[in-house]
Amino acid sequence: MDVSSIIASNASKFQSIAVEKDTPLDVDAALLVATDPNPIDEESYSTDLEVHLQALARDGIQALCTVLFALPTQRSDDGPLAQLPPPTTALPRAKPLPKPKPPTKWEQFAAAKGIQHKVRDKREWDEERQEWVNRWGRDGKNRRLEEQWITEVPLNADVDHDPRKIARDERKARVAKNEKQRLGNAARAAGTPRDARKQEIERTLATSRVSTASMGKFDKKLEGEKKIRGVKRKFEPTEKPLEEEKNASLALLARMGSDAKKTRREPSKEEDVLNVRKAIRSASRGRGGIALGRAASAGGGRGGSRGRGRGKR
Amino acid sequence: MLRNIKPANARSKRALDARLPKEVEDPRTTIFVRGTHTGELLNGVMRDLMALKRPHAIAFSKKNDIHPFDTASTSTASLEFWATKNDASMFVIGQTTKKRPHGLTFVRMFDNRVLDMLEVGVESWVSMADLKTPKSTPGHKPLMHFASDLFETNPRFAQLKSMLIALFNGEVIDSICLAGLEYVISVSLGPSVPAPATMYPNLVTEDLSTLPTIHLRTYTTRLLASGTRTPRVELTPMGPSLDMKLRRHTPADPELLKQAMKTPKLKKTDVEKGLGKKRKNIEVDEMGDLRGRVHVGKQDLGRLQTRKMKGLKGGDEDAEEQEPEEPEEQEGRKKQRRREST
Repeated sequence: MDVSSIIASNASKFQSIAVEKDTPLDVDAALLVATDPNPIDEESYSTDLEVHLQALARDGIQALCTVLFALPTQRSDDGPLAQLPPPTTALPRAKPLPKPKPPTKWEQFAAAKGIQHKVRDKREWDEERQEWVNRWGRDGKNRRLEEQWITEVPLNADVDHDPRKIARDERKARVAKNEKQRLGNAARAAGTPRDARKQEIERTLATSRVSTASMGKFDKKLEGEKKIRGVKRKFEPTEKPLEEEKNASLALLARMGSDAKKTRREPSKEEDVLNVRKAIRSASRGRGGIALGRAASAGGGRGGSRGRGRGKR
Repeated sequence: MLRNIKPANARSKRALDARLPKEVEDPRTTIFVRGTHTGELLNGVMRDLMALKRPHAIAFSKKNDIHPFDTASTSTASLEFWATKNDASMFVIGQTTKKRPHGLTFVRMFDNRVLDMLEVGVESWVSMADLKTPKSTPGHKPLMHFASDLFETNPRFAQLKSMLIALFNGEVIDSICLAGLEYVISVSLGPSVPAPATMYPNLVTEDLSTLPTIHLRTYTTRLLASGTRTPRVELTPMGPSLDMKLRRHTPADPELLKQAMKTPKLKKTDVEKGLGKKRKNIEVDEMGDLRGRVHVGKQDLGRLQTRKMKGLKGGDEDAEEQEPEEPEEQEGRKKQRRREST
């Protein structure tokens, strides 16, 4: 039986999906982009623009669809999902790459010991109540000892023995410990330099040791406590290479001539030529501005200080 | 600039965490900004582009005194502020002036800083509403098509292509629903005019008039049966249709671009798929087990020791001659060893 005619008639029912171009299209399936690197045909462009553009787009999209429909698919409620390959076109990111979190102390330990991370359920089965209860939080199981209505008291217990308080304190201590460890991890992640912190502590310790009335002379010494060492004086060698000596002298001269020290010793040039303080002192003969003012106001009536002086004589 | 917020509750913490840098990024949220003067055409263009970009679009409905290419103005600071405040990483700014009518500026951000900018002038426009044809569902991803050799050879058009992909299709996805391929954004150029030959090609500044027109068209797709698995695609114009000319641009700062182009370390599954460094003789079988192929030397079947049978001995005379010698040699060696050990 000759089936070629049947095949031909079947093929004629459908239009071709083949796209023929001089240079094959560049398809990036992940970004759903097809790029046609062929130059634009000037003749069809100038005859009818819209038809030309639509034909060009149709060919490009057909090539893109050929790639997309050939991808492996997964079934879903909305139709087949094509599994896309990673993109080949590089695009700039909108934000920098996330920085990896520094491991906590526990994570470091677990990695060293090869301990696997285990996810613990938030809820736990309660045999007595025959239901699932929270480990912590609302109606949490960690508060069971505090909330039960009767508690066994040991024989040798104190009079003020309070099992509820003990259980609560233990729980609170666990929470506090966890918080402390969390803060420690956060501080370590923030990257406080360890050496700087150590120096700071040593300096504080040294100050506190000499802060008693006897400057620490009669204080109890701890075992293995080090003697506080002061700053050792250092002297320059008497003979130095010429270059070094020259540099040191020049540095000294530059410091002497610099404005940094001068401004402190001398008043700035912008100030008034008259030194008011000196002027008052000389005018009042060293008795100050108030006396001078008083003398000036009294001068009209009683003849001023001169008159009084004469009377005394 | 913006105060450093410390989350007070779990909800605000989640909202802040969503803004943190991610390995696989979200689509670029785009802010559509009106400049001091926009005019009816630009308003329409921006409204239609926004319709395509939704839901990752924010409209600034008031006018803003913004001139992104003017380095003396505070526009860059404004853009950076808006980007931080809205967690947006792209801007489309419309501004029309006498000198540059109907200007549309695309600004791409990296780490809330301006990465690169590109201005186009809109020459003609057909809105989505003008074409009485079926429209796509908002929020669907478009297929994109770029047609011209200039998109690969000319850096200005390469930037335009990169910018448009980042605007409409930037995010990396691992799967797509094939039934949801509803519409197409096609960007095509006019025929490229060869630049006039000059004696000093280095001295000639770029002449914008020689650059071809950009034709941006949008179509809805119809997937017809083709007798094979791949359907035949037919397109219907949807709108908007834009004809544009390239204008000013600012290329990306090389240092910033280098940071922006950093890619995350390849995952183990991707390496197994054959990405990254080429690894020979390693494959993953259907069960997901990693299988390696080890090369062993070629087996010499002529020297293979098989069962010795008298009937087979006759042919090789040389072998018979050598045989009696071998046991003696072996014995000699054994004796030597014994002597050594004692």
